[in-house]
Amino acid sequence: MSRLVAELPAPTGTQPAGTGRRRWSRQERLAYTILLPALGTVFVIVTIPFVLAIWQSITADDGSLVGLRNYTRALSNPLFYDALRATGLYALIVLPTEILLGLGFALLVHRAVKRAGLRATLYVLAVLPLVVPPVAVGVVARLIYAPGYGVLNYVLQSVGITHSEIQWLSDPLLAMGSVASVDIWQWTPFVYLVLFAGLQTVPKESVEAAQVDGATWWTQFRYIELYYLRPLFLLILFFRMADVLRVFDHVFILTGGGPGTATQLLSLYIYRVEFRFFDGGQAAALAVLVLVAISILYSLVTRALPLERA
Amino acid sequence: MQAPTLPSPRGGGKRLAIALRLILIVAGLGMAAFLYAFPLYWLIATSLKSKPELYQSITLFPRHPTLEPYFSVLVDRGFWVLLRNSVIVCAATVLVTLAVGLVITYPITRLSVPPRLRVGVLNWALSLRFLPPVAVVVPYFAIVRTLQIYNQPIALIGIYSLFNLPFAIWMLKGFLAEIPLELEEAALVDGANRWTSFRRVLLPLAAPGLMAAATIVFTFAWSEFLFALILTATPQSQTFPVGVQGLVTQFEIIWNDMAASGVIAMSVPLVLMVVARKYLVAGLTFGVIREK
Repeated sequence: MSRLVAELPAPTGTQPAGTGRRRWSRQERLAYTILLPALGTVFVIVTIPFVLAIWQSITADDGSLVGLRNYTRALSNPLFYDALRATGLYALIVLPTEILLGLGFALLVHRAVKRAGLRATLYVLAVLPLVVPPVAVGVVARLIYAPGYGVLNYVLQSVGITHSEIQWLSDPLLAMGSVASVDIWQWTPFVYLVLFAGLQTVPKESVEAAQVDGATWWTQFRYIELYYLRPLFLLILFFRMADVLRVFDHVFILTGGGPGTATQLLSLYIYRVEFRFFDGGQAAALAVLVLVAISILYSLVTRALPLERA
Repeated sequence: MQAPTLPSPRGGGKRLAIALRLILIVAGLGMAAFLYAFPLYWLIATSLKSKPELYQSITLFPRHPTLEPYFSVLVDRGFWVLLRNSVIVCAATVLVTLAVGLVITYPITRLSVPPRLRVGVLNWALSLRFLPPVAVVVPYFAIVRTLQIYNQPIALIGIYSLFNLPFAIWMLKGFLAEIPLELEEAALVDGANRWTSFRRVLLPLAAPGLMAAATIVFTFAWSEFLFALILTATPQSQTFPVGVQGLVTQFEIIWNDMAASGVIAMSVPLVLMVVARKYLVAGLTFGVIREK
């Protein structure tokens, strides 16, 4: 929690120790005059919901304190563990597939496509899925997987691969696959773009030297390129993991969390507890748990991210 | 496409190996191209079908392409109102986000502040990026109802601005830092005050960056669905994605209307991205990957 909301440096304690400067310069004074009201406002707006979430999680609907009862109810609800399992499975399908596919394409284009025009075209093509609203992607997925009118079954049947309708959205495992395929379609290009850009930073000299020494494409990747890509893998993994916790739209459209709870990811579960079961206390407890988890994850990883903070 | 520049295998069968590799690569790329393009094609194809065609067996090409579904969605179902709401909400979000973003990034990039403050602000903004919306949905819902702005665009504008602020701060920081300090200092020496030099010198120079940030914030706000679903109840304030969702979950799905709504929803960001494509990846990765 603290990492997410309390990163704001104390405004008065920021003077470098030991410089002996007593007074702020005019510029610094101007900076604080502009900065503090804006940051303060945003800080308050961001913080109120956290405080409110914590408050909601320890009170009943009538406002009486109930201690940690909401938490014990949240943690003893088997649906919570179904949601955790679904989220974990989703991540396990989506992250490795996207990273391997994206890496494969990045290496392939990096080595096989030299023409600048073609590279630029591929760049645009890769950018497009990233901005398609997840709701629209969900619509596409319904057109493909839906029972009755789904085009996938039609194609499979006319090619003769299957004779009966495959229940893409009502078999638990297939439904998870269908939902994950949407994510893979939309986000593999992101991995490709990041890794391809990373490959462009590999110095040509070291690659050429390795090739003169007879390096195969694998050794060239393993011992040279991978070294430059490593921080980017961390970035991708962290950004995508945070995104898995946010996934809501396309799952909501495609399966609504079903069949049963097979695709009810954590975000859909919290939504359901709040707006279908109308159990605000338990939903708030879940929200606080998720916030704590993501804060821990964030504080573990953030220092290692290759970001330009200065 | 040229042949892959891989070290040529030694010994016999060299040609065969290269040919085989090329075939594999082309087959893989063809497969990828199909998986990439077919969903989009199918969405557009379905959106161009007439109602009678829906009740025949599935056709891979629309027999009699028609724009009727678009008309049906926008006019008959009244979705143009949702479209208008989306535009209003997104435009307002862009204005608020950029204004607040500038107020926060100007001091930390253009004025001499302790590095710790700069890093602190940037880290804090970054941490907000990883806030899962669903975790704050519960308290926001309560706040919005208390403030009596439930089912009003202002609630969405506020929340979208907040969630886009991290992107805006990091993008603007990148753009502002690239403009030489000397330009502003020259204006100050010439007797301009800070506000004038900001308005007359910095803003024009930062305009391309501001446009890029605006486009990306607009796109993100355009796609947002969860908060719009929760905080709006009537077409008077619903945004377009909520309408699309309504077409998907209704009892009898009208496939061509649904597809048309999907095409409309994705067309706006796609058009915008043709303009701002260079900056999208920089925005998404907080500047780690810069445009070339």
